[in-house]
Amino acid sequence: MSSVSLSDNRQARLGISLAFPSSLVVFCIIMVPIVLMFRYSFNFHDPVHLMREGFTFENYVKFFSDSYYRGVFFDTVKVAAICTVLALLLGFPVAYFLAKTQSRHKSLLIILLVFPLMVGNVVRAAGWMVVLGNAGAVNALLMWLGAIAQPIKLLYTPLAVVIGTTAVVLPYMILTLQSVLEGIDFAVEEAAQNLGANMFTTFCRIVLPIAAPGVAAGTMLVFILCMNAYATPVLLGGSGITMMAPSLYGQIAKASNWTFGSSMALILVIATMLIALSANWLIHRRYVKTMAS
Amino acid sequence: MANVSLVHLKKQFGQSVAVSDFSLEIADGELVSFLGPSGCGKTTTLRMIAGFIDPTAGRILIGGTDVTALPVHQRNTGMVFQRYALFPHMTVAQNVSFGLEMRKVGAQERDRRIELALDMVRMTEYKDRYPRQLSGGQQQRVAIARALAIEPKVFLLDEPLSNLDAKLRLEVREEIRALQQRLGLTTIFVTHDQEEALAISDRMAIMHDGKVQQVGRPDDLYERPENFFVAEFLGKMNFFSGVCVGPGQFKTVDGLVLKVDGMSEGTKRIGVRPERVELSSVPAYENSVPVTVQSSAYLGSFVDVVLTGPGQQRLSCQVPNTAAVSPSETFVVGQSLTMNFKASDCVVFNEEGRA
Repeated sequence: MSSVSLSDNRQARLGISLAFPSSLVVFCIIMVPIVLMFRYSFNFHDPVHLMREGFTFENYVKFFSDSYYRGVFFDTVKVAAICTVLALLLGFPVAYFLAKTQSRHKSLLIILLVFPLMVGNVVRAAGWMVVLGNAGAVNALLMWLGAIAQPIKLLYTPLAVVIGTTAVVLPYMILTLQSVLEGIDFAVEEAAQNLGANMFTTFCRIVLPIAAPGVAAGTMLVFILCMNAYATPVLLGGSGITMMAPSLYGQIAKASNWTFGSSMALILVIATMLIALSANWLIHRRYVKTMAS
Repeated sequence: MANVSLVHLKKQFGQSVAVSDFSLEIADGELVSFLGPSGCGKTTTLRMIAGFIDPTAGRILIGGTDVTALPVHQRNTGMVFQRYALFPHMTVAQNVSFGLEMRKVGAQERDRRIELALDMVRMTEYKDRYPRQLSGGQQQRVAIARALAIEPKVFLLDEPLSNLDAKLRLEVREEIRALQQRLGLTTIFVTHDQEEALAISDRMAIMHDGKVQQVGRPDDLYERPENFFVAEFLGKMNFFSGVCVGPGQFKTVDGLVLKVDGMSEGTKRIGVRPERVELSSVPAYENSVPVTVQSSAYLGSFVDVVLTGPGQQRLSCQVPNTAAVSPSETFVVGQSLTMNFKASDCVVFNEEGRA
């Protein structure tokens, strides 16, 4: 008995000493700046001295009372939600295929999936600019086909941001889903069909509920990435749509309004967390509750 | 329940033939097992009957209806899988309920049939548990209840016992057989375990390399194997190669003349089961073969003695553990004995081959 608790103790000590260095780094480089920003967001803005120590809600009041910023916020949530749903709808079939395939090229397929992640967001956005611009590939093709007479505006629209962002986050969604689907014994699909379920019913009642934890994890991860997207909205959205990250960067770097920028950053962090966690909670309540414990 | 007909069933994956020309009539209420080494095509055949694999050629009839073109969910077969395949997110009762819901059975009738099915496998008290809270044997019982609740036309079992430990395997096996007989289920049972197949089957089909080797009652197959593969696969057998030299006279390649019943001109080889031979220091019965003890293994109810025959071939003999002598002390390595057997215990083969 005592030897067991002793080794448990050693295990615990080992765990702590292994986790300590990274925890320290995380604390210093992530927590400290966030706490500072949190503090700044309650300071007074001062055009001369950047900010004045104090405690005020004026930055938050300004954000929520100004319809422009409310618009930026809701546009961000809308784009993030649409991109997340698109990534889920496009990613699920791919992940499902990858999890089930017996192909010996499977690892190659997964490498291909990771490949886009090796190219920076800015470079990829530049690629989309070439595709979507007035003289870009899409317009050139449509004009050549005679479908349109004048180039249609694709670049610097919300649509361009949605396309670009979805392309960025899709690999993350697929990889997360695939890792969970990989764990499913697909004999359950055969069992369901054998019991009289067609393929659609089998998917809805058997595969989807079992995959729910993966759907929840992938959705949460991708939604957070979308909410915080910077390069893609700037390069593809231009003046057509403004999202939170570029907007708050503008406040801090260009308008030198640190206090207002900080409050926007915190609103972004908190809203992202709230939405992501409640979506996660909903999926778990609907599907995963029965799997736990 | 219904009878099942397999008519010239064939399955080819690319160039490799998994099942070639399998025809079999399975009567209503009969339990037929498909037995063979892995890769022999037994599971492929079962999966064709369930509808998971489309046959390359041939037809499958269930209750006289051609189901070859029907999708899995319209075939009304009840399948039990090797790894249970219970739905992990559903309780035991929900698992059993699933097939009934697919058949749009009303709530009251559904509850009655769930109760009935779980009662059959003695799992009623576990109905609100989740699969992961059950042992392997319990999970397989639930899988059986789930398959039977839909009152399928055919009951299909794909190596249902191979994931269970030895004691449970016996228990669940007996349970399956009892249920099958009580309900008169037409059943196809796939296994690679010969003891399992012998114990449970009305008839068994032994398969090898995609071909059916022999179909018959367990005792038929064991006592009268039609070919070398069946004889060697089912139990053990001592073989002697040679030629027929006269009525009932078989001359082995080593020059021994043995008396053998049921021989024909073309007999190339004879066999005798290890439990049908006796070891002694003096010749007995019609046939005596001089042998040398190579090793012996004490296996409780009998001693398995490995012997070297006149042509250096490996022979074996199972000596029952009777109280008369201590069998483990009787056999000394290198000892010379005679192996005696009756002419009527010999099995004859017309094919040449190994051993």
